[in-house]
Amino acid sequence: MRVPALLLALLSVLAPASADEIASGSTFLSPELRRRQGDPNRNPAWFWVDQGKELFAEKPATGQACLGCHADPAASLRGAATHYPQVDRPSGKLLNLESRIEQCRVERQRQPAFGYESAELLSLTAYVASLSRGLPMSVRTDGPARPFYEAGQAFFERRQGQLNLSCKQCHDGLVGQKLRGDTISHGAGTGYPAYRLEWNTVGSLHRRLRACSLGVRATQFDYGSPEYLALELYLAGRAEGLPVETPAMRR
Amino acid sequence: MFNARITVPPQAKAGDIVEIKVLMRHPMDRGGQSDGKGGIVPRKILNRMTATYAGAEIIRFDMHTGVAANPFISFRTRAVETGDIVFEWREDGGATYTRSARLTVA
Repeated sequence: MRVPALLLALLSVLAPASADEIASGSTFLSPELRRRQGDPNRNPAWFWVDQGKELFAEKPATGQACLGCHADPAASLRGAATHYPQVDRPSGKLLNLESRIEQCRVERQRQPAFGYESAELLSLTAYVASLSRGLPMSVRTDGPARPFYEAGQAFFERRQGQLNLSCKQCHDGLVGQKLRGDTISHGAGTGYPAYRLEWNTVGSLHRRLRACSLGVRATQFDYGSPEYLALELYLAGRAEGLPVETPAMRR
Repeated sequence: MFNARITVPPQAKAGDIVEIKVLMRHPMDRGGQSDGKGGIVPRKILNRMTATYAGAEIIRFDMHTGVAANPFISFRTRAVETGDIVFEWREDGGATYTRSARLTVA
C-alpha cells in the first residue's frame, strides 16, 4: 500500500498545472486596484468598450455595420470570445479575436484593416470580449488546433533571451513571488484587452507579451505573429474554465 | 476621443453633502517628445475642469502635466435642488467639452 501512495504523491507533483490551479491575473492585484477594476465608474477600460459598441453599430463606407450580421450581439456573441484563439477552417490559420475582427473588416466589409493595437481594433475587441464577461474560457486544443497548441507550449517552456529564462520558470515555478515590484501571475490572458497602469491606456495581450519578451531580453515578435498567437492559444488552454474579465485592469 | 463618466447619487435630500465622481478619457499628453520631423510634439492636456450646479460654480480644478492620463476626480457638494450639474473641460488648443449629470433632490 505504501508504493501506490508514494506513486500518487509523485504523480501529483509531476502533473502539469491543471485549470483549477491557474488563477486569474486579478487574484494578484492589490485590493484597491481590484475594487477599481470592478467599478465601471473608475475603470477607464470601459471607455474603450463604449467606443467599440459605437463602432460595432457604425456603417462603414462599403459593406454593412457589424450589427448588420451580428444582430443583438449581447445574445448572439455572448460566449464567442471564450473560444478564441481558434483555427479558421477555410484558411487553416490560427486566429485570435483581433485577427477575426480584422478578417471580417477586410473580407466582408471591404475596408482597410484597422491595424493591430489601433484604438479602433482594441475597442472592438474589448467590446466583443466584454460580451463574454463571466463565462468560462473554453478553447479547442485538439484536432486542427493541436499543432498550434503544441507550438505554444514549446514556446512557453523554451529558455530564451539574454537572461535565458523560459516563461514556465516564472509563471509556473515562481507564481506569487515578486518581480520588479509586481507579483508574478500564472500568465492567464483572460482580462485582455486590459487597461494597464504602466501604459496609461488599453492594450492587447500581444502588447503584454512583447513586454515579457523585452523583460527577459529576448526577441520581441510582431503583433499578431504566429509565435504569439500559438502562445496565446496555449495560455488560453491553460486558463480553461477561468471567467473572461475583459476589460480588466492590470498594473 | 474625449469622454467622461459622471457618477452622482441616485437621489439626495436637500441639504445633504453628496459625492460626485468624474472619470475622464484623455491621453493627457505632456508633449516635448520628438515628432520625428525635427520638431517637438506640443503639450495637449485637459487644463481645467469646471462644474456648475444650481446657478453656481461648484468646482474649478486646474490640471497640469503631472496629472496622469484618464484622470479621476471626486469631490463633494451640497444638494440644494433637482437640476443638472454641467461640467466643462478646457483642452490645450482651445477645444472645450461639455457633459452633464442630473442630480435628483427629493
